[in-house]
Amino acid sequence: MKRAAAALLALFALGSCSRSDGKTHLYLQRFFGECGAEYGGSTDIAKAEGECGIITTMIDRFNAENPDIRIDVNVVAWPGYPQLTAQVAARDPPDLVTMHEGVISDYALKGLLEPVDDYLRQAGISPNDFTEAGRAGVTIDGHAFGLPWDTHGGLFHVNTALFAKAGLMRGGKPVLPNSADEMIAQARQFEQRTGKAYLIQSNVGDPAYAARNLYTYMMARGAVLFPDARHIKLATPVGVEVATFFRNINAQHLGTLNMDTPAAIAAFINGEGGIYPTGTWMIGSFEQEATTPGRPLYRSYAVFPYPRLWGQHVEFVSGHSWVVPSRKRSPRQRAAIARFFKFMAAHNYDWARTGHIPAFRAVLDDPRFKALPHRDDIASLASIGRPLPSNVQRQNAIEGIVGEEAVAAFTGQKSIERALSEAERRVNDLLAQVD
Amino acid sequence: MATDLRRGRLTPLGWAGLSIGAAIMLAPLIWTLLLSLKNNAELVGHSEAALHGPYTLHNYAAILGNSLTLRWLLNSTIVALGTTAGVLILASLAGYAFARLEFPLRRTLFVLVLLGLAVPSQAIILPQHQLFAWLHLHNSYPGLILPGLIAPFSVFFMTTYMRGIPRELDEAAMLDGASRWTIFWKIIVPLTMPAQSTLAVFTFLGSWNDYWWPLISATRSDMYTLTVGLAAAQMNYAQTSGLGYLMAQAVFASIPIFIVYVIFQKQIVRAMAGTAVR
Repeated sequence: MKRAAAALLALFALGSCSRSDGKTHLYLQRFFGECGAEYGGSTDIAKAEGECGIITTMIDRFNAENPDIRIDVNVVAWPGYPQLTAQVAARDPPDLVTMHEGVISDYALKGLLEPVDDYLRQAGISPNDFTEAGRAGVTIDGHAFGLPWDTHGGLFHVNTALFAKAGLMRGGKPVLPNSADEMIAQARQFEQRTGKAYLIQSNVGDPAYAARNLYTYMMARGAVLFPDARHIKLATPVGVEVATFFRNINAQHLGTLNMDTPAAIAAFINGEGGIYPTGTWMIGSFEQEATTPGRPLYRSYAVFPYPRLWGQHVEFVSGHSWVVPSRKRSPRQRAAIARFFKFMAAHNYDWARTGHIPAFRAVLDDPRFKALPHRDDIASLASIGRPLPSNVQRQNAIEGIVGEEAVAAFTGQKSIERALSEAERRVNDLLAQVD
Repeated sequence: MATDLRRGRLTPLGWAGLSIGAAIMLAPLIWTLLLSLKNNAELVGHSEAALHGPYTLHNYAAILGNSLTLRWLLNSTIVALGTTAGVLILASLAGYAFARLEFPLRRTLFVLVLLGLAVPSQAIILPQHQLFAWLHLHNSYPGLILPGLIAPFSVFFMTTYMRGIPRELDEAAMLDGASRWTIFWKIIVPLTMPAQSTLAVFTFLGSWNDYWWPLISATRSDMYTLTVGLAAAQMNYAQTSGLGYLMAQAVFASIPIFIVYVIFQKQIVRAMAGTAVR
């Protein structure tokens, strides 16, 4: 009995071990998964693939190049915000955290994140080095609250073999529409000539898809989605017109219905439709299909930002960033954070190999970036990308509500006016509760 | 009823019905197993590729290749065993007190315990988290085990069971000079073994599968339990580009539970049938 108790106490003690190795320790918390089995200990960033592989290798490389600093990595279950909030509540937040730019306001406006202007200055990084989308994504009231790391948003992933069959290729490139009417006309032509859906859509369990479409084309029409930080405005003539456009696509059976994300991805990979509007993060998987002989997408894949259908060519985007939660830190830790920022900025190209758009202007012009498949076609996302206003909190939750109601409007489950009004009411109720 | 079943009085229709039911229950499990044995890339376009070979153990190798997986397994084992032991001890002592002892406010206290059944754990998660932060117990085994010891159902369960044991046994032992402790330890506890094993199985399963509290209390990866660790190890689009790995995780996490089930099958079935309290 005593032995068992002693063993139990010893095991308890395991949980509170600490190290003293003379190094400056930074506690980094990230998502993107765990792939230590494949990449653990590797420092060859060029050989790493995928978000997890590249980020794992980059951090190992930083540790190898900075022997006086040790980054202790904590990989959290996606997206990691419940854990971060719990850590903040327990007054034990990490030193560096991966954060979606749309979430920064939730923490920054409560004083839970440090402005990183000083770290950027120490690292020799100017906010002018960032792309427009990157800078807008991390800046609140003139202060940067994170190191922008990438920009991601929706893209039109195109099956060029089906586009050719539909007579929608010119000079080896797909012809994308320039107006809403042109898109409907193209979709009809595509459907008639191929017998397949023009748009593959993930309307089920993927509110981000519909929200992205609504935000993007309302922004293009010059709509002010958030007149102030506490209110959204969707039930407007512009909102109704955009929603009506997508309702028409579905009513005329020009897009797939009843598909969730995995089903839509499988449909696109198997050549069951012309365009799959989804994010930058799928480029790697689709490119792999496009370079595998025998697959339906073999040599038949192209990708572009959302086309301009009305007004300005702009697109709703978000991005990943590195933020620094507020807590007491030593000068050495602060210097180590600045060095980490410098390292990450210097390796922004490596991260751009994931398919995300780089957050630094210099990388957009880097020949290595331009040489990556399709990057020349999608690089404009960095300049046309528009995040939601950085002073609006609860952007993730808002996207869920807007997406849910937008799907109901697009698919005819609710009248367009009712769906948009309910989205407005629900979002405004949510924002009214924010401290 | 049980005797009838043993005598094989099921009609062919009954057998057919049971077989169909069993097949329906088994189908998702077999599907999960088959998916876990396939290369992720093959499943992205066609999940039906799981129905034919080639099969691979690559996904399982990736799980075991993570240096922390065995640590998470150890953490889950310590937490589940610690919680189970604690609940059995506390619930038995409390159950004995409520069932056998006379003390002031006994009924009131028992009602208070029962009221605990009506409070969902989510309702107290914030003050509980704050309390553990003040006590510096997050990212520790006590931090993961102690909340699991709040088990009003277990107290109610043991109280009910002990009330069913004839008081004459206690009285006979007292006449022989046995103390309260001796009666509890040497007479009552052995008689409650069926209830103890049922309670142990359910407490172990509940603790092993717990996700919410470990997610917010164990925020350092070396203190993750298996459920949290495996979730953290997933890529962001696991359901599309990492389906095989995701299913391998599900199978891997359920193996210990499967073993527990095989060992304690009798107790679990008895508990499910509600006969453990007889």
